Amino acid sequence: MRDEKIYSIEALKKTSELLKKNPEFNAIWNYRRDIIASLASELEIPFWDKELVFVMMLLKDYPKVYWIWNHRLWVLKHYPTSSPKVWQTELAVVNKLLEQDARNYHGWHYRRIVVGNIESITNKSLDKEEFEYTTIKINNNISNYSAWHQRVQIISRMFQKGEVGNQKEYIRTEISYIINAMFTDAEDQSVWFYIKWFIKNDIVCKTLDEQEYLKMLKDLRENILLINNDEIEFSGKQNIWCLKILLVLEDILEEKEALTERSSEQYLVQLIDADPLRKNRYLHLLEQHK
Amino acid sequence: MSGSLTLLKEKHIRYIESLDTKKHNFEYWLTEHLRLNGIYWGLTALCVLDSPETFVKEEVISFVLSCWDDKYGAFAPFPRHDAHLLTTLSAVQILATYDALDVLGKDRKVRLISFIRGNQLEDGSFQGDRFGEVDTRFVYTALSALSILGELTSEVVDPAVDFVLKCYNFDGGFGLCPNAESHAAQAFTCLGALAIANKLDMLSDDQLEEIGWWLCERQLPEGGLNGRPSKLPDVCYSWWVLSSLAIIGRLDWINYEKLTEFILKCQDEKKGGISDRPENEVDVFHTVFGVAGLSLMGYDNLVPIDPIYCMPKSVTSKFKKYPYK
Ligand SMILES: [Zn+2]
Repeated sequence: MRDEKIYSIEALKKTSELLKKNPEFNAIWNYRRDIIASLASELEIPFWDKELVFVMMLLKDYPKVYWIWNHRLWVLKHYPTSSPKVWQTELAVVNKLLEQDARNYHGWHYRRIVVGNIESITNKSLDKEEFEYTTIKINNNISNYSAWHQRVQIISRMFQKGEVGNQKEYIRTEISYIINAMFTDAEDQSVWFYIKWFIKNDIVCKTLDEQEYLKMLKDLRENILLINNDEIEFSGKQNIWCLKILLVLEDILEEKEALTERSSEQYLVQLIDADPLRKNRYLHLLEQHK
Repeated sequence: MSGSLTLLKEKHIRYIESLDTKKHNFEYWLTEHLRLNGIYWGLTALCVLDSPETFVKEEVISFVLSCWDDKYGAFAPFPRHDAHLLTTLSAVQILATYDALDVLGKDRKVRLISFIRGNQLEDGSFQGDRFGEVDTRFVYTALSALSILGELTSEVVDPAVDFVLKCYNFDGGFGLCPNAESHAAQAFTCLGALAIANKLDMLSDDQLEEIGWWLCERQLPEGGLNGRPSKLPDVCYSWWVLSSLAIIGRLDWINYEKLTEFILKCQDEKKGGISDRPENEVDVFHTVFGVAGLSLMGYDNLVPIDPIYCMPKSVTSKFKKYPYK
């Protein structure tokens, strides 16, 4: 049928059947889009809604198939009206998906697209709401790295667009949130990657004055040392992420000429022992620290 | 037990050979959309295992040509399917591996190049086909294919490089587009694209350190590598992570012994092939990335593989290096 360029409702139904059996069959999705595009002038809103339902049904069974997500976006792009309502529905859809699979890579990607569309239609920023969303997701599971990643994107944007009223206050609140997270699960790398970003990024460096910035770093260092000592007392082992981030902190402090006592070499030697998988990285850093 | 693990070369060769003969069942139809990719994976695995003659060259080449989509002027995964950048790269890789790019002929080659270039968007990214999906995977695919054909130009390369650099993240990883979460497969496509464009020097020393750090943190205590923090290990990441580390000259930042052991544990000792994780069903995708990873680590005299192109080094060493003289 495709080769004969038959673009009819009948043919559309055929593609539904095939896609239910094999949603990875990209050529059938393409044919389906060609059919819809050629019939578009006769198709009313209920058709498009039905198409979204069809896609949803497949997504439930195959949440990781790229082609289905692509098709959903294509349908939304060609949806006859550009009211925020249809995108609001998408936000609910993606909320549900991320409830079931909080790390779904497409899900988060899709969320950013949906939010972007709502923002551009309503001309209103959703940064605050999305920031809150990442807090909820992280509070549910502190190892949700996708949410930490998203938090970085949103904070950067909020500062860039001047959406933060009291910037210093904001950073102080975030610091205590981070320290709290650190104490909650010091084993997981997610929060540590976030901390690494937080202490080095321009927003924080420029919002705080030199004294405040150094104080923040030193407070953080105290807390990390505390966690590490607890761990040593508890298990007799060092917490490898504490050591890794202490290294970063020392580098910054040294650059600011605010380091009184240097322990980096010692940390690296300890890491070689405590984190042997990455031994060669530590040897490389030792070489650099000489 | 672990000390006695070895690579079951002969079994893997037989496994890959057997894939081609299972032709007339439903399962086979289900994987039509991956057929050309599958042949590239199989052929590359065979090359690494030093047994390329297991596939009949003439048959493979004629299958590749039968996947030509004359409407759009590029390769589909299967006869009468639709052309896509991903399958177009597979076709070019297979032909190059056989040193048979000539079979394209001038006409097809010209159309192919214009298909690839035609999918580049204004921001330098590429869509996979006319329906607009953007992903750094496609930037890599496009640059790699053009590079193999010796047809890169600064008009294509420069904006593509700009786009790739925008996908670099705060944590030292790369995402599928700007602002997207870091993913090991995207690290490979982005670093691979930069390497092909000869633009790795656009990354600062600090960035290279950060990239290496994020990548080596993918190794888990059981030895396998994951694609993102707090995810399970998977053999295919042996390739995405290792090749990325190799490209930035930090291959030894993970532990070879533990990773080798993990990959070998994913072998099916009866029928051959490698799976994503121990005890899972094997497939050709994880088989090639398993043996390719082992090759990068210099395991047991496997044929050397090029971390940038995921093809035998003996093949890629003949490619014209960009920028062309
Ligand atoms: Zn995998």
